[in-house]
Amino acid sequence: MSELRELKLRRAQAGMNGASPAGDGAPATQASQSARTSRFAQIVRYRHFYLFIAPFFILFGLFGLYPLIFSLYLSFVNWDGLTQMHWVGLANFVQMGSDEILWRSLLNTLIIGLLYVPPMMILAFVFAQLLNAQWLKLKAFYRAAFFLPCVTPMVVIAILFSLIFSTDKGVINYLLGLAHIAAVPWLTSEDWSKISIAILVVWRWTGYNMVLMLAGLQGIPRDYYEAAEVDGASTWQRTWHITLPMMKPVFQFCGLLSLLGTIYMFDEVFVLTNGGPGTSSTNFGLYLFQLSFDDFKFGYASCVAYSVAAFVLIATMVANRLNKRESEEAL
Amino acid sequence: MARPSLKWLAFIVAAGVAAGAAGCASSPQFAANSEPIAANAPASKVHGDISVWSWNIAAQALRNLTPAYNKEYPGVHVDVEMTGSRQQTRFMLALAAGVGAPDISQLQNTDSPHYMATDQLADLTAVASKYQSDFPPSVWRLCTQDGRVYAIPWDIGPCAVFYKRDLFKKYGVDPNKIDTWDDYIAAGRTILSKSGGRTKMMTLGENDIESFYEVLLQENGGQIFDANGDIAIDSPQARQALDVIRRIRQSGIYSDVAAYSAEWLSGFSDDTIASYPGAFWLGGTIKDSVGKGPGAGDWGVFRLPALTPGGLHVANWGGSVLVIPAQCPNKQAAWSFIQYALCTRQGQLTQYRTEDLFPSFLPALKSADVDARDPFFAGQQVGRLFATDVTKIQTLNRTGTWAEATGYVSQDLSHWGATGMPPDEPFLSNLADKMHRRLQTPIAPAATASNAPTARPAAARTST
Repeated sequence: MSELRELKLRRAQAGMNGASPAGDGAPATQASQSARTSRFAQIVRYRHFYLFIAPFFILFGLFGLYPLIFSLYLSFVNWDGLTQMHWVGLANFVQMGSDEILWRSLLNTLIIGLLYVPPMMILAFVFAQLLNAQWLKLKAFYRAAFFLPCVTPMVVIAILFSLIFSTDKGVINYLLGLAHIAAVPWLTSEDWSKISIAILVVWRWTGYNMVLMLAGLQGIPRDYYEAAEVDGASTWQRTWHITLPMMKPVFQFCGLLSLLGTIYMFDEVFVLTNGGPGTSSTNFGLYLFQLSFDDFKFGYASCVAYSVAAFVLIATMVANRLNKRESEEAL
Repeated sequence: MARPSLKWLAFIVAAGVAAGAAGCASSPQFAANSEPIAANAPASKVHGDISVWSWNIAAQALRNLTPAYNKEYPGVHVDVEMTGSRQQTRFMLALAAGVGAPDISQLQNTDSPHYMATDQLADLTAVASKYQSDFPPSVWRLCTQDGRVYAIPWDIGPCAVFYKRDLFKKYGVDPNKIDTWDDYIAAGRTILSKSGGRTKMMTLGENDIESFYEVLLQENGGQIFDANGDIAIDSPQARQALDVIRRIRQSGIYSDVAAYSAEWLSGFSDDTIASYPGAFWLGGTIKDSVGKGPGAGDWGVFRLPALTPGGLHVANWGGSVLVIPAQCPNKQAAWSFIQYALCTRQGQLTQYRTEDLFPSFLPALKSADVDARDPFFAGQQVGRLFATDVTKIQTLNRTGTWAEATGYVSQDLSHWGATGMPPDEPFLSNLADKMHRRLQTPIAPAATASNAPTARPAAARTST
């Protein structure tokens, strides 16, 4: 804090002395001259700096921008990756309307999202609160333990969960059996497959969200709680009136990540059910993968990907606008 | 500066003209590479480096082969790359890019039609057509398109049933008396009831129904596509196959453990599963998994049950081919390796002996090696059993959209299995409609004609 004040003071002094903020006391005439020279000349003059930042832009252009534009073009063609492309205009977009598997996969995506996001957020918040508590020992251990699932290789998780969810030999059904509850066909029934995926996702990503929320909790100044405590606020009131409102940006960030994670979720579904039984757990990410790398329909797959991305973008913008209006009204 | 580039251009033009004159079917963009492969090039004149993409034990088998190959072809250096998962996808991307493909690549034989349809594979007709009669007609068909040869069959996957002798003995079931799937189900019921429900006859999870369905369809000559590539899935043969699956599932003799899951593999070593219908290569998986553990030396194999008495006892499941991409710069060397590995007895038998790849090369199947008694299977002549009737295998007609089409069949069969297997009539016609809509392929008229509700499975069509 004191450093910052000192810096401000120094800047103010420098201003009074009449030196330009750009530093090293360049005369004003020279500065106006360089403003007149063309932008290109400036780029040439500062080429070393541009060279230093170039790698990112080159890589982004090659592996980010180019594929992005190319796949927009692909949306208007039929292409199997090998033979000639055929320009089909808007036919791919029309085809989407009657693609029952696409609509099924989007519905499945929505259901899986609704099944896992609320419990994951609540659990992440509760764990973050617990880890933030003063009385807890071994905090680093718990933090690492909760974070571990999201850095564990998916292959390991796949083997583990296929054993956990096994109908005949699985550990969950064994425990249910002890409680005299009939075995649940976790992965072999169309009703349960989405729930199994939701459980796996909650297990895998709660720790990640917890770490984000923990950072958010630690960013809330202690003064607020102390002041509230002096005013006689209960623990519950402090959580409700201080923690939750202060955490809103973190919740929004976690929510956005979960939204994107839900739409493009792939490996969890791929390894656990591969979309089955039937298409009961085929989600959007998996369907996109099947379209491109099983069916080799790169044109149609690009078209579907672009359409859904556009829809998500618009939906997010609308949500943001509503959010903004709401918070403005609140003020 | 101009001279070399002109020379290069002239070469392309000359090669293009030559290719055109020869009526070569390869696409003009690779004309520069398409020097015809000489049928009788002397081994000493063939030289260069070739790279091969392959996977798993297949790659190992080719590596085992290279020393012997190099005795005949000392001038060629072979580099077999074990490329790991989704090799075929990377191969396709390399073909699309026009660069980066290996000189030889392995493909699953079911996928080869899709790659052949792209015109990006070297035409091997001139040098390979003489081998046609050395391979079962069913696999050779997967290597040709419009009468041109683009791939050479490697291994095949003739099917039979692997079983645990001790369990069959314990519950009084004689595997030699299992002739039809009816017998198999009856035996399964015996084992199930005598074991108090503990031992299931086989595994047949929802997602695995499709592979099993393809095996059954080959036994009764059914098809997914007819010879013209039209959808022919709604047929009496399909109903007969579905009927077997339904009876297996309804009798409760199956376990719904997914194939290749950890518990499926653990089933090899305990008493929960009595038998595994599968292809020859499954034996390798069983041996690897069991090792010297419980059950080793006590396994057996009996022939695939037929759909009806006197019906076929063979079907093919899996297998692969080798291809040379059109962009390969040294096709002569690549061909010499394929020829040695796949079109000679010693080549195919070395791979059979060392890595259990079942030869598709018929002269190799006549060898005494195939009669060897396998101690893992209690001294049974397993190779000979699998080699029986391989020439009678009836193939399914593959199309360029095969992977996508079987994806829909698999989806619907899995749904059908998970939802209690409703009657076939709407199921098969709905599936045909779905395929028609999504593949934009017509439904074969014959299949619609046999749609009449009275049509029941006729006696299985046999080619004996």
